Amino acid sequence: MRILVSGFGTVGQGFAEVLALRNDLFKERYGKEVAIVCAMDSSSYAADPSGLSPKDLLERKKTTGKVGTDAYSDSLKVMDSVEYDLLVEVSPTDIVTGGAGLKNIRHALEAGKDVITVNKGPLALRFCELITLAKKNGCKFRFEGSVGGAMPIINLCRESLVGENISSMRGILNGTCNFILSKMDNGQSFEQALKEAQQMGYAETDPTNDIEGYDSACKVVILANSIFKRNVTFSDVKITGITSITSEAISLAASHNMVIRLIGEVSDDRLEVSPRLVPRGHPLSITGTLNAAQVVTDLAGPITVSGRGAGRVETASAILSDLISIMDDRKERGGRCQNP
Amino acid sequence: MMVNAQLYVKDLPGRLVESLEPISLFNGNIVGVVHDREQIVNQRICIDVTFEINGAAELDQLKETWKKKDVLIAKIGSVYKTFTMEYMLVGKFKASLVESLIDNASNMVKLESVDVSFSSQNASPTRTAIISAELMSENDLRKFDAYLMDACRQSGIVYIRGL
Repeated sequence: MRILVSGFGTVGQGFAEVLALRNDLFKERYGKEVAIVCAMDSSSYAADPSGLSPKDLLERKKTTGKVGTDAYSDSLKVMDSVEYDLLVEVSPTDIVTGGAGLKNIRHALEAGKDVITVNKGPLALRFCELITLAKKNGCKFRFEGSVGGAMPIINLCRESLVGENISSMRGILNGTCNFILSKMDNGQSFEQALKEAQQMGYAETDPTNDIEGYDSACKVVILANSIFKRNVTFSDVKITGITSITSEAISLAASHNMVIRLIGEVSDDRLEVSPRLVPRGHPLSITGTLNAAQVVTDLAGPITVSGRGAGRVETASAILSDLISIMDDRKERGGRCQNP
Repeated sequence: MMVNAQLYVKDLPGRLVESLEPISLFNGNIVGVVHDREQIVNQRICIDVTFEINGAAELDQLKETWKKKDVLIAKIGSVYKTFTMEYMLVGKFKASLVESLIDNASNMVKLESVDVSFSSQNASPTRTAIISAELMSENDLRKFDAYLMDACRQSGIVYIRGL
């Protein structure tokens, strides 16, 4: 299996680490290795048809700030110059245009390549177009890590719960907001809690996407389209962030044995991100940076999953799960997979 | 139908089970039982039982059976399923605004009960209220929800609802 990694930031590096850690698993399970044949960051790339060493890529990125020694201006040209089977698209999310991620995913699918992404922008803006393109070209297109990081929500619903009728889904889909609201539960002001989140690296310098609910809204769109088979986009989501949550509101909720959490909700008639009152002890009253989701099904009843919503290796674990699923599928279909 | 009954049985061993057994006999489903040993009237203790039963005919037969078993029925009536939701309002508003919102809503939907509590600060920009509303149907709950959301938006008040 020859992999092209587009994006070598936190998640891209995490994926390289995980791949090095799990190479024995691939040898044992499929009798072959998985190799990164090309890795791109925002301005440079490295390519080798016989496979690049993940350790060398990580070391170079650490010491020089770049993944490769060759510069590029057009990622599509780099993609065309490399023989690969699967694109791992982990470049930064752009929820306005879809950014380079959208361009790269489209290009790979048009060329008949399988794609794994955790990039929310292309999925929130062009989900149906990309799914249609993947089907048309017989490609696998998976995106488990785009919602909830390591929390396996998409594949759980699409595979393990495939026989269920899912009526609704509610979840904490942004760890940064949950961290801030948890800190406010302990008496901090919104501003103090946000500052602490930034100091600990949970929130960006510009936290707008998190605290205004845009990041959660992207995930709501992905869940609505992939699980509820809706055809919606980012602009269809009713969004309220957490900036209006006061310490007084948190205290009053606590006096009624409740907490306030930013909840994303998807059902046949609802598409919403908003702060909600959650009873203490409810599965969605979790604290810290954790993500959680509750799926309501007709046969199994409510099912709740929780896990780390972000992080280098945690998100890479979701990519690994998608990769194994694609490789299993290829194995079943008679070994379309080629050795690098 | 869901039924709640207040029964009085002699304070003797086995009488609790004896009074509940007929419910199962008529295919009823016991939802809750409170066996109150503090409430003794004429040497009889109180049992408050809530159960589901198919219809009025089965209920009549059940009452007849209780009578034969010397189980006194102090009170019996239908229980309606209600729908409860909590709402929080944050912003600069007076208590009278919340009162008028609830008054207006009660003209549109059947409110079984409403409980309102306010944060201590009066008419500050961050004044907060929690409304706990109990409604008679899911449809009424949707209407109440939509009305409150609209009214809050028009008044510039932040609206947060329960799960």
